[in-house]
Amino acid sequence: MKRTFLGEFEEVVLLTVAVLGDEAYGVTITQEIEQRTGRSVGFSTVHTTLQRLAEKGYLSSEMGGATAERGGRRKRFFSVTAAGRRALQEVKQVREELWSALPPQTLQLMGG
Amino acid sequence: MTHPPRWAQKLLEALGHPDTQEEVQGDLLELYDHWVQTMGKRRANWRYSLAALKLLRPLAKPKPQTYSPPFTSHPDMLRNYVKIATRNLVRNRVYSAINIGGLALGMVCCLLIALYVYDELSYDRFNANFAHIYRVTERQTQPEGIFDVAVTPGPLAPALEKDFPEVQRTTRVGQWHGLLTKGRRAIEPEQFLIVDPSFFSLFSYPLIMGDTNTIFHGPNELIFSEATAERFFGADWRLKNLLGQSITLNKDQTFTLVGVAKNPPTQSHIQFDVLMPFKWLERNDEWSMKWNSNSYHTYLQLRPDVAGKAIDPTAFADKLRGQLKQYQSGNETPLLLQPLSDIYLYSKFAFGTDYGKRSDITYINIFVAVGLIVLLIAVINFINLATARASQRAKEVGVRKSVGAQRSSLVTQFLSEALLMTTLAMLVSLLLAELLLPVFNNLAEKSMAIPYRMPAFWLVIIGLTAVVSLLTGLYPAFFLSSFRPVAVLKTGIAGYFSSGQTGRNFRQSLVVGQFVLSISLAISTVVIYRQLAYLQSTKLGFDKSHLLNVRLKGDLKQNALRFKTDVSQLPGVAQASMTTSNLVDMNNSTTIEWEGQTPKDEFLITQMNVDADFIRTTGMSMVAGRNFSAQITSDTLSKLGTYLINETAAKRMGWTPASALGKKVKFWGTDGTVIGVVKDFHFRPLHVSIEPFILRFRPKEFYFDLLVKTKPGMVASTLPAITSVYKKLDPNYPISYGFVDQDLDRQYRSEQRIGQIILYFSILTILVSCLGLFGLTAFTAEQRTKEIGIRKVLGASVVSIVALLSKDFLKLVLIALIIASPIAWYAMNRWLQSFAYKTSFEWWMPALAGLVAICIALLTTSFQSIKAAIANPVKSLRNE
Repeated sequence: MKRTFLGEFEEVVLLTVAVLGDEAYGVTITQEIEQRTGRSVGFSTVHTTLQRLAEKGYLSSEMGGATAERGGRRKRFFSVTAAGRRALQEVKQVREELWSALPPQTLQLMGG
Repeated sequence: MTHPPRWAQKLLEALGHPDTQEEVQGDLLELYDHWVQTMGKRRANWRYSLAALKLLRPLAKPKPQTYSPPFTSHPDMLRNYVKIATRNLVRNRVYSAINIGGLALGMVCCLLIALYVYDELSYDRFNANFAHIYRVTERQTQPEGIFDVAVTPGPLAPALEKDFPEVQRTTRVGQWHGLLTKGRRAIEPEQFLIVDPSFFSLFSYPLIMGDTNTIFHGPNELIFSEATAERFFGADWRLKNLLGQSITLNKDQTFTLVGVAKNPPTQSHIQFDVLMPFKWLERNDEWSMKWNSNSYHTYLQLRPDVAGKAIDPTAFADKLRGQLKQYQSGNETPLLLQPLSDIYLYSKFAFGTDYGKRSDITYINIFVAVGLIVLLIAVINFINLATARASQRAKEVGVRKSVGAQRSSLVTQFLSEALLMTTLAMLVSLLLAELLLPVFNNLAEKSMAIPYRMPAFWLVIIGLTAVVSLLTGLYPAFFLSSFRPVAVLKTGIAGYFSSGQTGRNFRQSLVVGQFVLSISLAISTVVIYRQLAYLQSTKLGFDKSHLLNVRLKGDLKQNALRFKTDVSQLPGVAQASMTTSNLVDMNNSTTIEWEGQTPKDEFLITQMNVDADFIRTTGMSMVAGRNFSAQITSDTLSKLGTYLINETAAKRMGWTPASALGKKVKFWGTDGTVIGVVKDFHFRPLHVSIEPFILRFRPKEFYFDLLVKTKPGMVASTLPAITSVYKKLDPNYPISYGFVDQDLDRQYRSEQRIGQIILYFSILTILVSCLGLFGLTAFTAEQRTKEIGIRKVLGASVVSIVALLSKDFLKLVLIALIIASPIAWYAMNRWLQSFAYKTSFEWWMPALAGLVAICIALLTTSFQSIKAAIANPVKSLRNE
């Protein structure tokens, strides 16, 4: 299946970037994930995942302007590329197909 | 405000991924603040450190950026540098010409001097055994002091060869004189040497005819050089069967020609025309076998060690040192070793005992120093002009920097301009060298050619070009590339420099440096020429003018009186006198005993056998007593004869001229009386003071020279007359004569040569310095065009403007004069130390040199300043 493969965490990160829009950079992404999923996420993990996604072409990035805080260091802002959006769509579609293929009684058993 | 752990920060900075350094550090810092607020400092620290450690990428390399940084040595950039350099060169023709001309002059000096030094240093190197050959010399203790002599006893060579296993072979070289005849052909070789058969295996002088294995085993054998063979047998000597021909020496000894040797190379300290075996000398001259006579050069070749390397000569030299007393008890004279490489340049032996070709390392040192000085001055010119022209280039630098040029690429650009200039200058200097070589050869008495075929020569050329372009280019390159673009573009160079005048001070000190060097040379020239004039004008104590010296050879030695009588009767001859020397550099000295001598009180006295006309012929004067007289029989007696001494001798023996009369002296074992005291006269070069001298009148002993005083203006007519008298008395020997004044002058040839060389070089240095000055004035005048215009409008005269522009530079030349005078004084005092009779360093010498330098500098600057001063102010003030 020569198709996009997104790991679970990758999917989360990619989605978060999409959610944050113009404000997506290392810190906000990490905090957003922590907030939304409630799990403690290491910054290094997020950073590595962002790098990997950028390599795969799902994310693009550019440096922002100089900042007053952070010791004057610039931020790297991420945005989802067209390929990234398609990958998210595909993941979502697969999920929805799977959900819709679920027999109703099973669904009930799961408390849905 | 809290900070994350410093070590983690540092670590991340050092080992994090270089591409994401910035944002990662920033993000972590932001998160850290957040963590501190939400969960406290301790946990924040912990999380920060953990994240930092996880983000270390120690092996990561930065990804190449899409835009590579400008590559300064990219072919396109290089082409651009050359193009810009060429444009600049063409646009500023005057500056370029000054720069290239100055550099070319400097480099041509260096080239010629390098050739000279190379030539001097390659003496004797043609010998295959060059590294292993030494000459044995003696350090003799004489009453007057310690003297190094290059001659050793005849038996020394065989004894050393027998006693020291280190010695592979030895050869003796002695000097001889004589007339060689065959039928009607006769020659008197100038370089007539006596050598051992091993001469040909120790040195590398190949034979053209003859076999080195068989020659010189008999006593009566001769070897000619090619040149002698041609002189003796004619141009087609090669076609004749020469070996075995019999040749007569001095009309009584028959020799066989056993070989013809190739002419010794010019770069050989041994030069020979005819060679004769030492065996002959052993049979005919008992002194050659005695230990107490020093007449021969002893050369030895040390045996290489097992590995074929030269052995350490110091151990052998230590053994050799005291060897002489093994052969002759009580002889404490030490023997020294002189390597073949030192013989030509480092030989300073007393009593003229080194009769080989010689030079002096001092020449080389002076030459090298002077060559470097000229080059340095030329380099300074370049630097000065380049920095002075900075204003023209400042805008260019500003624009280049604004569009992204880095400093390194600007440095490369300016260096490549320097390289271009230097390369052009090198081409010009090669041309100049070719043109000047004949003049230089004449000056240095050499026959050198530019070795175009030698790879090392081209390496030197390339090396010199590279070094000079670095020297000239480095400072301007860094200076020009240091401009801040905003400053130079906004306010222009004037605004940029108004803050600090460093560039100007730097230039001025360089100009002072140039003139210090050239004025020092000029002062030295004045002093040297003054000393040369002094040497020539010093009263020698006798009249050297119209004094002719004819050498008495062969039969004439016995027939001297007849020759003298015949010559005296010639119409052009005023006086003639028979002597044993020609009055030039006499050092035939001995010791005497005298009345009232305390034991062990000894001194060397120079001696001469003359006749009664000597005092009249030479124009010497008597201080006390009377001259010799042919009528008084006791004067000429070989026992109980009479003597004349000079004032110094009288003083040395403790007498006044008056009290010396009648005193008894014992000379060469025979007693005699002092009958007169001659006024001191110089019989050695003026390097040394007058020493004791003794004259005797012994017609029975040999005379070697006839001194002839001709009447003024009759030299030309008298010479042929003397020659015909000579021919009549001795048809065999060709006449050899000399003019005493010329021969005396020849003693100072090396000083004259040095004077000439320094003169040329000081002219050159002043020329090159002024070339730079010319450029600088032109530049200043150009820079101050507006100022001059305004001054003129307000009524300034041409003179005041010229003064305004010249003042600055004259000040520099004056400062240079003040610095140069003590330097030259010190150097010249040291040089004058080598003369016992010398002129003193006087105030007018630096003044004269300074005046010349100032006049030339003034001339140089005035050309530009007058041009600027007479320009119409309307033109300079019209625009802007």
